[in-house]
Amino acid sequence: MKFSDVDVAVIGSGPAGMAAAIKAKEEGAEHVLILERQEQLGGLLHQCVHNGFGLLYFGQDLTGPEYACRFVEKIRDLGIEVLLETMVTQISFDRKLTAVNSREGPIHTQPKSIVLAMGCRERSRGQLSIPGTRPAGIFTAGTAQRLVNVEGFIPGKKVVILGSGDIGMIMARRLSLEGVEVKAVIEILPYVGGLIRNEVQCLHDFDIPLYLEYTVTQIHGEQRVEAVTIARVDKNKRPVDGTEQNIECDTLLLSVGLIPENELSRMAGVALDPLAGGPVVDERRETNVPGIFAGGNVVHVHDLVDDVSWEAEIAGAWAAQFSQKGAFEKKGKIVLRPGRNIRSIVPQTISGQSDVTFYIRVKEMEEKVRLRIGDIYDRAFRVAKPSEMIKVDLLQKELNLLKGNPSELVVECQKGE
Amino acid sequence: MIEEKIICIGCPLGCETTLKIDDQGEVVKITGYKCKEGRQYVLEEHRSPVRVLTATVLTQNSARPLFPVRTSRPLLKTQLREAAKVLTKVKVKPPIRVGQIILPNLMNTGIDVIATDDLLN
Repeated sequence: MKFSDVDVAVIGSGPAGMAAAIKAKEEGAEHVLILERQEQLGGLLHQCVHNGFGLLYFGQDLTGPEYACRFVEKIRDLGIEVLLETMVTQISFDRKLTAVNSREGPIHTQPKSIVLAMGCRERSRGQLSIPGTRPAGIFTAGTAQRLVNVEGFIPGKKVVILGSGDIGMIMARRLSLEGVEVKAVIEILPYVGGLIRNEVQCLHDFDIPLYLEYTVTQIHGEQRVEAVTIARVDKNKRPVDGTEQNIECDTLLLSVGLIPENELSRMAGVALDPLAGGPVVDERRETNVPGIFAGGNVVHVHDLVDDVSWEAEIAGAWAAQFSQKGAFEKKGKIVLRPGRNIRSIVPQTISGQSDVTFYIRVKEMEEKVRLRIGDIYDRAFRVAKPSEMIKVDLLQKELNLLKGNPSELVVECQKGE
Repeated sequence: MIEEKIICIGCPLGCETTLKIDDQGEVVKITGYKCKEGRQYVLEEHRSPVRVLTATVLTQNSARPLFPVRTSRPLLKTQLREAAKVLTKVKVKPPIRVGQIILPNLMNTGIDVIATDDLLN
């Protein structure tokens, strides 16, 4: 394999990396190279054996491995080069990339463009500061998922799940079906963190108690988890005295959010957005570093895999163009600013010169709202929820309606029908 | 007259609906839904709630200890636990291609259990 003439290098081969690489190849990039840390393509999809993937992308209800298989086949057919069990250790501002594996040793290449598709990581106990002892039996939901679905171990017999993210709820169902007693799901917010369908089909279907506005205040046990203390929280998410109760369990799973994986991005000098969590990108999903693009959960954590792949395709397509024609001529830059009830917006900047796919997350749940982007987009929504990102496609001709030469556009969610 | 509460999963709104059911088991009134599709979903969820079952089965002569499978069509919700138990007794050997039938006619339902991945070694 020659590393001297890579057109587009894609880091990671989950639902983002595979989609980006395929798109880049289809858009004419000749030498597309995927660098994957694991021993197979697909990233996290392999451990997501449940269904609910691809309903939008393929119009079919697929499981994670089935979703992965479709992309893997295409990668093979298109002749995209793949390096497995290969860890990218460094990327520089001028796209010098260093990777290492046990066959080739250190690999040095300078691709014409790079797509960051490393996905995200789970938040762990260290980031929550739960008091108590340090016994065995505390896992992130994703680690438990890997143990149960890939490696063939059941993490415990009596489980409490902190956080009602999708992976936590899906594990509640999976463990119940494997004969584990799931004693409770504890959520600090007044509503579940994941999708409604998962609340119904994973918790209600299996009669798993859901404690809203509760949190875990103490973990008990010396060698192994023996119990957790839970307590109700007030409006400021502080535990309320006198509401504590103990739940006996041997395992605590954490499903308390995901954070984009930023290590390589930072190394390359890519600017990060504290609101979305990952790199600041424009509508091409290009970062502030010319020729370095990003797509999927590395940019901001999506709710649906379909959107991960779609967004990465944007990055892949423009990365292909960059590799063939060089840097884009940038005529303008408009910054998107979050207004009322907006948590995050991707892309954070646009040129106004090409079509844009926006992903917008609100801060609080509200019914009967209007979402506005400057004076060019205004639409009513029956409900806006933090757990369900809003996708807005704007065509270039709609952007042409922008009056004057604005340097910023406010995105806001206002009450109204 | 009895009442059944069903949450609609059709959209992020998650409407909490209430069905009034008479002594003959007929739905006489549905309240709480906000669209036609929601009303239809709630009725079907009341009459016959079904779910696709996804699981893993054990392997033999393979580098992987487990292999993912699912039912080819949704099963009755009430059959999920029993079906999961049946699958604990299934063992598969490579080679298997995605979509291949692993267990035909699960519990005489006419529904097959199929592979959701390739198992080449």
